[in-house]
Amino acid sequence: MGDVLILGDMKEGSLDTRTLELVGVGRRLAKERGGDLCVLLLGDEPGGGAAEAASYGPAKVYSVAHPLLKGFQPEFWLKALEQVCAQVKPGVFLMSHSYKGMELGPRLACRLGARLTTDCIDLAVDPQDGLLLRTKPVSGGNAISVFKCPGDPQMATVRGKVFEPAAAAEAKGEIVEIAVELDASMARVASLEVVKEEVVALDKADVVVAGGAGLGEEDGFEVLEDLRKALSKSFGNVMIGCSRVAVDKGWISSDHQVGLTGTMISPDIYVAVGISGAIQHLVGMVHSKKIIAINTDAGCNMFKVADYGVVEDFDKIIPALVEKLEGL
Amino acid sequence: MTPQRMMFWQIDLVWLFYLLAALATALFLAGMAAHVLVWKKNAGSLKIPFSKEALKRMVLDSFLGRRILHGEPAAGLMHLLIFWGFLSLFIGTTVLAVHHYLVAFLTGTTYLIFSVAMEIAGLMLLAGLLWALVRRYMQRVPRLERRLEDAVVPLWLLVVGLSGFLLEGLRLSYEQPVWGGWSFAGGWAGALFSASASEAAYPAVWWGHTLLSLSLIAVIPFTKLFHVLGAPAAVYFEGIEKPAALDIEEAGQFDLGDTVFFDACMRCGRCVAVCPSAGAKEPFAPRDFIQAMRRSLWQTHSSFGDVRFLSRGEESDVDKNFWYCTTCRACLEVCPIYGASFEAVTRKRVLAVEEGTQVPKLLNQTLEKLAKYDNPWESSKGQRDAWAKDLNPPDLTKRGVEADLCYFVGCTTSFDDTARGIARSLTKILQTTGASFGILGKKEPCCGDIARRVGELGLFQEQQEKCLELFDRYGITEVVTSSPHCFHTFRNEYPDAPFRARHYTLLLREMLEQGQLRFREQQKTTVTYHDPCYLGRYNRIFDEPREVIRAIPGLNLVEMAHHREDSLCCGGGGGRMWQDLTGEVKMSEIRIREAEATGAKILVTACPLCRIMLEDARKAAGLNETLQVMDLNELVLQALEGVDAEAPGA
Amino acid sequence: MKEMRIIVCAKQIPDPEAPLSDVRVDAENKEVIVDAPQVISPFDENALEAALRITEDLGGTITVLSLGKKVSDTVLRKALAAGADELILLQDDAFDKLDSYSVAQALADAIRKIGDYDLILTGRQAGDWDSGQVGLLLGEILGIPSISLAREISVEEGSVVVKKSTPEGYERVKAALPALVTVSNEVGELRYISRTRMLKMLKGAGSIPSWSTQELGTPSDALNKMCIVELSSPPDMRRNCQFLEGATPDEVAGKLAAVLKSLQ
Repeated sequence: MGDVLILGDMKEGSLDTRTLELVGVGRRLAKERGGDLCVLLLGDEPGGGAAEAASYGPAKVYSVAHPLLKGFQPEFWLKALEQVCAQVKPGVFLMSHSYKGMELGPRLACRLGARLTTDCIDLAVDPQDGLLLRTKPVSGGNAISVFKCPGDPQMATVRGKVFEPAAAAEAKGEIVEIAVELDASMARVASLEVVKEEVVALDKADVVVAGGAGLGEEDGFEVLEDLRKALSKSFGNVMIGCSRVAVDKGWISSDHQVGLTGTMISPDIYVAVGISGAIQHLVGMVHSKKIIAINTDAGCNMFKVADYGVVEDFDKIIPALVEKLEGL
Repeated sequence: MTPQRMMFWQIDLVWLFYLLAALATALFLAGMAAHVLVWKKNAGSLKIPFSKEALKRMVLDSFLGRRILHGEPAAGLMHLLIFWGFLSLFIGTTVLAVHHYLVAFLTGTTYLIFSVAMEIAGLMLLAGLLWALVRRYMQRVPRLERRLEDAVVPLWLLVVGLSGFLLEGLRLSYEQPVWGGWSFAGGWAGALFSASASEAAYPAVWWGHTLLSLSLIAVIPFTKLFHVLGAPAAVYFEGIEKPAALDIEEAGQFDLGDTVFFDACMRCGRCVAVCPSAGAKEPFAPRDFIQAMRRSLWQTHSSFGDVRFLSRGEESDVDKNFWYCTTCRACLEVCPIYGASFEAVTRKRVLAVEEGTQVPKLLNQTLEKLAKYDNPWESSKGQRDAWAKDLNPPDLTKRGVEADLCYFVGCTTSFDDTARGIARSLTKILQTTGASFGILGKKEPCCGDIARRVGELGLFQEQQEKCLELFDRYGITEVVTSSPHCFHTFRNEYPDAPFRARHYTLLLREMLEQGQLRFREQQKTTVTYHDPCYLGRYNRIFDEPREVIRAIPGLNLVEMAHHREDSLCCGGGGGRMWQDLTGEVKMSEIRIREAEATGAKILVTACPLCRIMLEDARKAAGLNETLQVMDLNELVLQALEGVDAEAPGA
Repeated sequence: MKEMRIIVCAKQIPDPEAPLSDVRVDAENKEVIVDAPQVISPFDENALEAALRITEDLGGTITVLSLGKKVSDTVLRKALAAGADELILLQDDAFDKLDSYSVAQALADAIRKIGDYDLILTGRQAGDWDSGQVGLLLGEILGIPSISLAREISVEEGSVVVKKSTPEGYERVKAALPALVTVSNEVGELRYISRTRMLKMLKGAGSIPSWSTQELGTPSDALNKMCIVELSSPPDMRRNCQFLEGATPDEVAGKLAAVLKSLQ
């Protein structure tokens, strides 16, 4: 029975929260399977990440370093993963449902003869056959499906911000360096340039103020910006979000879109202004800690999933709210 | 000596005159031929259907200048002066030629009368031209352009006229005939010159006047002067009855009438002055669009390029901005040659829809929704009758349910929160008055108006077939609609429809006449009424809604600056509701400000699109406290005896 | 350059725009029943648009493949109406509810039967099972380079150049043809197809070839169905909404401000 292996990721020098979430669920699965949890880190240089990962108490932290693993060229990473799996022979291999996870997961599964389930919101071990039970939303969020697949290792990509990040553990893991053989000819896709853009990292926000069709026009977002500024004083990272309609109408760029085809978020507070609450939008924010809805339609879906509701014109409420917040 | 005209005085090279005249005529004819050839190439055939009505209208409009007087008496008078001045002079010259070559009859009293007539005509022409120049360059009337051609043409004609008088003056100054006083203007001009100076100057001035006149005639087809022939032709063609149904195969093509319209457009700009899109500073104006069509006409069909050589180089891509037109029909209302720019726009849309890549994204999605779900708002038919749930109007599609009247609610009224108030109000009114009516519930299709306006004729035909089939299946012969768009489409664009369609305002007025509507005294309120484009301009229904409003005691109806035929579009028609095109301001905001200016507390309208657009505009303009927007149904319901007052839009 | 041949893999699914109220979960038969018409999966339509733009520029042909237990040629003819040259349906009961790998396998068999190609385009994920794997798996099985999440695609001298989305911005990559690219919606909305054109296509176009496992030469036991252990409606997302009311908007705003303060 192989171990549970997690592909970790680094963000600005330390472990990504997603990795910590994977550690959390990985621990549980390892226990259910009666095996160990291991973490895998790839990079161009051996870094402090391994030590940090070790502090979360996995049995082993596999560290792979190779110059061709600099940045992220999927073909090199895939080759490296293939070699690691051949050596480590994990029973379960988890990745976060992220850009890297989706580039690597399907192709690695194919090469290993495994079957991958993507975007899982829950994982469990079937007590009868030890296979992974993978729970994921399907049909745009209209249904939840639990899959079981044959194949070794059992593979899944895990949706972010669903599982709690693990806390550091007492026992420290053992750091094992694995060497991989890579050469430039393995890559058939050449990277010509990598460009950073002003990206709106909605999933990092503590509070999101989102606008939809109910704003009536582009200027509505100026009103929301006033609220965003006012809230920024007491709430940390406050950002502007939107529904797909607002993007379609050209009022705001798609970076701000919350929902199935936008960004899935679960901030501390989500303020939905003039958003009716179509399912594709709801699935993107329904796990927010607190949801406040402002809409003139008392019967709209958003009120059904909100904690607090105001049936009023946003144009009347928000300026008054901003005033009150500034007074407090 | 008997009064008569001295012909060709001191002009020896008379043959040169004839040569030049022939040349001028040849050029003129060549230019005219070019126009006709281009028309033929574009329209396919030059078959001219005969219509007595169209002919009569053409004659009356041309000679009485009715359309130019329409709404602008100053412009009309000015143009009549030029028209009759020039026409009289032209007839005069012809008469003189007849006298010279055929029958010498212009002598004696005949000649004197002729002389006076010519003086008056000449003065009329000069007065008209000066007035025109004053309007364009000193008053700077906004719709009038100040391009090179706009200065050159009237000035040219002015110089021809002035030189004509000068010529006459020189002749009289030399001749000093006793009857000279009859040519008072010429006489005045001639008094400035001595007899010998006149004699000396005369030939030069004569040749100058001749060259200028002949060349003016020659360039008629090559400048906007073409309108002197083109405009009557266009008026004739626009008067020919067009079939109600657009043949899908030919829908993207411009027929002879359209072609002549493009070519005859004189750039007067009345359309621009009334176009709500131009008024909102959007990148669209009917004149620009039609001129772009005219240019492309020439670029496509003429090997020499644009015939209006002074207009060359005025490139624009305004003909790509044809999605802005709301099809409000304000342009047709004022165009002196009855040009329907919005119809030309629709034809371009038909072509764009067929080609596919230039259809804006939102419209693309909307049309797909319409095709799949019979409505442009939601991806489901399920909520179509949600507005009716607690009111329970009879569903005519259920077995055994019959009624005299079918209330065709329409897509917008069914699905939009604000517009639902219209359906609820009308239903309650009908229920209160005990009318026999029913709705089509979830089965109600779209009338097809949106598809028709944006050029998706195949989809329009599909929806049309669905409606006809449904009406036939359930034996529906009387239909009343919430929306003027549905009403207009049913009445005017469903050929041979076996059912009668009315807009609800006609029904309310009928109920009023029959004493079925009893109103309570209302708190004294000033209200104003916005004429929806498709109810007012398209179907000339202006009075009925006003009669209903006036019947409610306590309400004082005032009119906005633009009302009835001049009503300003709210911006929701022509498919605009499902796009997001704006200019510097929103059309609906301009309209709401007009409503505000009347001091009215309530702005009443009779169309779901207007209801939504004006409601949004009211909020955007911050008029929440001072102005309320209501549909006529909501207003009537509120005032009906025996009904609990309900907040509009609830 | 010889003529480009592009293959577009398009899946037919129930309209993903249908609201929740039109969706029913049949837990017993483990099916999601959507009361909505069938459409081409939106990202696959984007892939078709990308293909059309390439062939408009460089010439070439577009073959559209669609796989399912039963694929409506009415729906897929839209691809022909849009300008694709050829449509081949892959229909077989054995294709019902296959897992991603098996779908990719069957598609690969079809593509091998078709023969030569330069570029395969498909959407990044389908709107029904949202798995997002078939594209990349197909590339693996065929042994060609794969690029995902394309925003812009261009073809030059035997290579495909793709601008693809990354978490921090974008990356431009290049691969020699033949290659596979999965596209995202930035690549372009499928051009509008008028009903007239669609109806002509429905009446006019000849019969559409339909291949089963037999024509593909795929042994039935090579294809695996998805193993669905359980299918359920999404958990109730409902919360108890506390409506804040007041005589004036100002009063309500005050209450809302108090709520926000309490959440600090």
